[in-house]
Amino acid sequence: MLEGAKSMGAGAATIALAGAAVGIGNVFSSLIHSVARNPSLAKQLFGYAILGFALTEAIALFALMMAFLISFVF
Amino acid sequence: MKRRFSETNLNSSSDTFSRIPNPNTTTLTESNPLLSGTQVAGNDTYNNHDFDEVNDYLRSEIFENVKKTFKRNCPDENKLLSIAEDLHNYENDFLKEILEDLKNKEGEHYDFAQQQLNKILGGTPPTITSPLDQFEIISWIPIEIGDLYFSFTNSSLFMLLTLSLVLLLFYFVTKKGGGKLVPNAWQSLVEILYDFVLNLVNEQIGGLSGNVKQKYFPCISVTFTFSLFRNLQGMIPYSFTVTSHFLITLGLSFSLFIGITIVGFQRNGLHFLSFSLPAGVPLPLAPFLVLLELISYCFRALSLGIRLFANMMAGHSLVKILSGFAWTMLCMNNLFYFIGDLGPLFIVLALTGLELGVAISQAHVSTISICIYLNDATNLHQSYLFIIEQKRGTKFTKFTRTGSKKSREKKSILE
Repeated sequence: MLEGAKSMGAGAATIALAGAAVGIGNVFSSLIHSVARNPSLAKQLFGYAILGFALTEAIALFALMMAFLISFVF
Repeated sequence: MKRRFSETNLNSSSDTFSRIPNPNTTTLTESNPLLSGTQVAGNDTYNNHDFDEVNDYLRSEIFENVKKTFKRNCPDENKLLSIAEDLHNYENDFLKEILEDLKNKEGEHYDFAQQQLNKILGGTPPTITSPLDQFEIISWIPIEIGDLYFSFTNSSLFMLLTLSLVLLLFYFVTKKGGGKLVPNAWQSLVEILYDFVLNLVNEQIGGLSGNVKQKYFPCISVTFTFSLFRNLQGMIPYSFTVTSHFLITLGLSFSLFIGITIVGFQRNGLHFLSFSLPAGVPLPLAPFLVLLELISYCFRALSLGIRLFANMMAGHSLVKILSGFAWTMLCMNNLFYFIGDLGPLFIVLALTGLELGVAISQAHVSTISICIYLNDATNLHQSYLFIIEQKRGTKFTKFTRTGSKKSREKKSILE
């Protein structure tokens, strides 16, 4: 019973990844838009995009961390 | 949960051993499966009679063999007998060792027993079952002073390793260690690192003269270099990722947070408290906003540490899980699976590349965050002028109205 509930909880925790996926997609779509408008800024914008990607991914990893904690620690 | 099951099984079996009063017989239960090879460990159907028989048999057998092998060296049978007895006692010590290991649930005998259990039960191989096992801190040289725990662990070893690596690298490329005007590869690496952080600090911390920025640069540079090297060191297989622990990343981020707060108070005095109220906020909203800003300010310390920790831990566990898939497929004796194994293998490879990127970018991100926080602490969202204006009231309104922008610039130049 507890094991099952744990698995369900861990699975539910990964739903949060949907939001992170949208976020990462948003970051890179914005990058493409901006580069298409002003290709000369590509290098600088790419740096910002990577920064944004790392920050967004970090949030996604909180969800993954919760899933791990639920399934392995408790 | 295969692992838990096996653990409880071993628990119960060691309990049954300890219930038997005679220590000799206890150890023999353990030795029996080793002798015959067919008995299952933890089988408690033997009775004391059997133990005695086996014990006597062993003793005589050892004596016979000693006699056979050493007859030429020493004809005296009593001496040979004492040798045989010693051997037998030695074996008892060995068996006691096994028992100790089983009771403590660690050591080679425990591992062996678990292996046997898995073999007999037909379960999964007894390798790491949880992907989080790689983050276990093992104490190598236990040091305890009172209630404090100062043990030398694998974490501290890898911390020292990073420290020595970075120090050596930096020593050998600077003037005394043999740096040259025309840099070689190592020197350019260090120069790139230095330049990178210098640019970062110059870009992010605004409104300060170069001299003042120089004051903060060493701290930020050291933070960046160490988090970079610690993250990258964790990517070496079988090494330990220091930054995958709450303790270390939060220790770092909290000390930096406290330092930044102190810097803020030093530079701005009590005006530092004005960071909690952005400029131009209507007064009724102020209590909520102060609370909100205060929370968000304190949360920075947490988020800085947790971001690094979560990235490292989740990434390493992910690589571990996927390489587990690849390994399982590789171990299946089937050509089809063997060809199919290339998929997970490539995913593991790609993920390792991603992890390398994450290791570098997380060091970068945390350094940028530190710079941003430092900038906020020294420049206070550039909002405190507004509050000064409010406080001074009508007296200086003329001046502030006409020259608020100018005075702001003046302030920043003064700094």
